[in-house]
Amino acid sequence: MTAVIDIANLVKTFGSTRALDGLDMRVEPGEVHGFLGPNGSGKSTTIRILLGLLRQDSGVARLFGGDPWADAPALHRRLAYVPGDVNLWPNLTGGQIIDLLGRARGGLDTQRRGELIDRFDLDPSKKGRSYSKGNRQKVALIAALASPVELLLLDEPTSGLDPLMERVFTDVIRAEHAQGRTVLLSSHILSEVEKLCDHVSIIRAGRVVETGTLTQLRHLTRTRIACELDAPAPQLATTPGVHDVVVEGDRVTCQVDAARVGAALGVLTTAGVRSLTATPPTLEELFLEHYDGQHEVVDSRVLP
Amino acid sequence: MSLAITPATAGRLVVWSRELTGTTTMLRRTIRADRWYWGTWVALLSLLPPITAAAYRETISDDAAGAEITAGLAANSTMRAMLGPPYDLLQVGGFTMWRVGGFVALLAATMAALGVIRATRAEEEPGRLELVRAGAVGRHAPLWAALLLAWAACAALGLIVSASMLALGTPAAGSVAMGLGLLLTGATFAGVGACAAQVSASARTARGIALAAVGAAYLARAVADGSATGSPLQRLGWLSPVQWAAYARPYVGERWWVLLLPAVLAAVLTVVAVRLEAGRDHGAGLRAARPGPPVGSERLRSAGALAWLLERGALGWTLGGLGIFALTMGSLSDVFATVADDPDLAERFRRMGAGAQLLQDAFYVAMIGILVVVIALIGLSFVERLRREEATGRAELMLSTSTSRVALLRAFTVPALGVSLGGAVLCGILLATPAAAREGDPGQVLRLAGAAAAQTPAIALVLGLAVAVHGLAPRARLLPWLVAGWSLIVSWVGAVLGFPQWLLDATPFALLPRLPAEPMAWTPVLAESALAVILYALGAWGYARRDVT
Repeated sequence: MTAVIDIANLVKTFGSTRALDGLDMRVEPGEVHGFLGPNGSGKSTTIRILLGLLRQDSGVARLFGGDPWADAPALHRRLAYVPGDVNLWPNLTGGQIIDLLGRARGGLDTQRRGELIDRFDLDPSKKGRSYSKGNRQKVALIAALASPVELLLLDEPTSGLDPLMERVFTDVIRAEHAQGRTVLLSSHILSEVEKLCDHVSIIRAGRVVETGTLTQLRHLTRTRIACELDAPAPQLATTPGVHDVVVEGDRVTCQVDAARVGAALGVLTTAGVRSLTATPPTLEELFLEHYDGQHEVVDSRVLP
Repeated sequence: MSLAITPATAGRLVVWSRELTGTTTMLRRTIRADRWYWGTWVALLSLLPPITAAAYRETISDDAAGAEITAGLAANSTMRAMLGPPYDLLQVGGFTMWRVGGFVALLAATMAALGVIRATRAEEEPGRLELVRAGAVGRHAPLWAALLLAWAACAALGLIVSASMLALGTPAAGSVAMGLGLLLTGATFAGVGACAAQVSASARTARGIALAAVGAAYLARAVADGSATGSPLQRLGWLSPVQWAAYARPYVGERWWVLLLPAVLAAVLTVVAVRLEAGRDHGAGLRAARPGPPVGSERLRSAGALAWLLERGALGWTLGGLGIFALTMGSLSDVFATVADDPDLAERFRRMGAGAQLLQDAFYVAMIGILVVVIALIGLSFVERLRREEATGRAELMLSTSTSRVALLRAFTVPALGVSLGGAVLCGILLATPAAAREGDPGQVLRLAGAAAAQTPAIALVLGLAVAVHGLAPRARLLPWLVAGWSLIVSWVGAVLGFPQWLLDATPFALLPRLPAEPMAWTPVLAESALAVILYALGAWGYARRDVT
């Protein structure tokens, strides 16, 4: 089966800035793919290339197997896009804009439109200029979600939404996922990605530095272990895969590679464990780890 | 009466000063943001009077022939309607004031009104002032900063004009009156801009209101000056703030008291604007935003429908305004019926017009010449919409649907082109209608429709250039404005600036035949039409290929 999004070695420069520097990414049908990175790392540039708004300098981007630059209008019938900063026509109402965008995309499901307006609690008769940021975001979200398309391209879609609306958004995306829609969700909000996405690509300075399922990514990193020991365990520091050992009296904390947790626990058990907590890495740690800037590019899909 | 400050007055003073807090900060910010706007306008406008004065002896010779020419100019209703009342054309100062003074006053009014809106409503609409207002900046600080800067720019214009006219050796009193008149005209329309900025939440509407006010003021004085001597319509000129600078009669026995009119009106408009601003919410107009239809009509399904929905109001107003202008100016043409009765005057005119057999034709040529350039400028403001759609990210939203680049371009440019070209022909028709009705000669209408149509390739060329620039080199967006602006200056005052002829001919409008005074020439008409089509196609080709940012 062809991937919905298939990007290889994508490069895009703006003057002397290298916005994308050999980016690779693949999104399979039915995936909810988190596209994680800080501001200015190239997320929006990637999405804009996928939309045919920008042309890459080199590399290949395929959307539904087609060329996003040459076949834009045809491909756009199969996707809906929500920008991170939605700007609406000041004199058009939210309802008019939803209908315009939906129809220009190739049609929209009026029943679904009504449901979404209710769920997101939007007043569709207000003019574009009088909406708050969150409400502008809702207009674009409803227009996208009410379109019967295969792919949703969401660029930081929850910015400006209140926590209640964020939850509605989470529920709606989960339902979309269950129905097999493909979603590319760009975000710097880790909890959101962790909640919604089955796959994650982490981007830094125009390159994807980590990609895979959440489970695979967790395997790649270290578990934090904190324990109280009956006796010192001097050999712990020399055990392969154990890092950053800190000993304070009988309290010991360390970081252990995912694959070596068993060995580390063996060492600790011989010293007599009184109490122990092991914390799996959160996405946040994964994320921050990559932004320390020391990590090599790893594709967990190719690891055994 | 004592000047004791009561607690109530003191309280109001405190509130007043609090609302002004941050005006200096705002002023600095506004200067930084708008220095090029004001600098360019003031520099260009302040050049016109001294250049005209310096070229005076080349235009009007110091002998009987010169006297003959000036007498002809003064009696020519077309020239009067275009430029204003000629008081004394036999001296440099009086001639300069008549030939370019009114034109500069009109442009100073436009500059001031648009400049104030630019720093107030146009900043408030996208929410940029909100950030500033959240700081230690009072409610009226942005408005005051905008007004202070506008007044300063108008003062600079007045000062440069006065000083340069003095330097050219014209009398001091006249030079000061001329500079002061320009300053006060600008200040008045800064007030107009300030009021317009309060009315609507949209900067575009505010600009429309301000330009309509400028246009109405010009029309009122054109009717007054174009009417036959002794006609009660001539009093209409006193209602026109762009005419007061001329009525102060610089160099021709200055009537200083006339300058009180703009001074008072400027003050009143400023107070009104501040009052209006005090009574409205930030970001809102005077009227609360009304809800609209919660669903889009069946037709709202494409970029074309979107553009039509967005633009139809403004296009309608524009056509209406142009129509009124053309019809009003057309009704002035009966003046020539009376003038033609005086054989001496008639002979003089015949020698002056652009080779026209009929005085009336010369008048029509002049009016069509002005109208087509103004229409091109208006058309440009509609094409400009395309750029704004892209700058705001709304183009991106439309392009993320199955709308192609070319469809988006077409959606916003075709109505602009259609209304501009159709509007020009309509203006020709309406210009001819009063005379045609009076003389029972419907052929007139067709003749002037054709005359206007013969000028439309230049409008298409300017708009085609704008499309080409948008598609190929969006950074050069000022280029079409420069072409149209230069055309406006040439068609209005070019002949007296002493510029070489090739420079005056270097506008798309000047190259076209000026019917009915000149014979039809197909070559320039077809060449410019073809060039317009090529530029448009190049623009569409470029837009389909460049990055949309």
